[in-house]
Amino acid sequence: MTNHRKTLSAILGATLLLGLAGTAIGQSASLISQALAAGEIGEQVNGYIGFRGTPSGALRDEVDAINIKRRAIYTALAEQRGKSPDVVAATAGCETLEKRVLAGRVYKLNDGIWRVKGAGPIALPPYCVPGDG
Amino acid sequence: MLTKAGLGGYAGGMKQAALLLMAASVAACGGCVQIQAPDKPIEINLNVNIKQEVVLSLKKDVSELIKDNPGLFPQ
Repeated sequence: MTNHRKTLSAILGATLLLGLAGTAIGQSASLISQALAAGEIGEQVNGYIGFRGTPSGALRDEVDAINIKRRAIYTALAEQRGKSPDVVAATAGCETLEKRVLAGRVYKLNDGIWRVKGAGPIALPPYCVPGDG
Repeated sequence: MLTKAGLGGYAGGMKQAALLLMAASVAACGGCVQIQAPDKPIEINLNVNIKQEVVLSLKKDVSELIKDNPGLFPQ
């Protein structure tokens, strides 16, 4: 009986913890997706997410965390392939601008101007290689 | 007569001014045309070619990197 209760409370506790963690993750994900939808942040040609205006502290932390992790995976791939992290990042910039930026979202090219993506593809820099090759 | 001569003189003045202007601009740009025209486009083309090759060589890996880390590439 007591064992059952212990197990039950352990399960309840674990569920509560998971729930809380899930909420925290959900909040940060929605903070990012809300900012993307509002055009406050967007993908940049350099392979990182950028701020279009001055972000709130929480949003800045979230985006910075993503960019730091991006930098880490770019650097890891660059070391594997004997290339510079910046070139890997630039390639990722080409990929995200070509395939992942949704219509209506903002993006930034080398000229530093934020633009809203329309129905058509983004005019990529000449070094990008569009397609699946 | 007087108007014709006047006009002629005016037109002559224009021609002279135009010639002077051409001579002046040729003199002014004599050096810079030679320096600017050949160098810059070639440099840019080389850079683009090198980058495009590198980007092409990394494209597949980067594409997989993005697919493997969807949390880092929110839409």
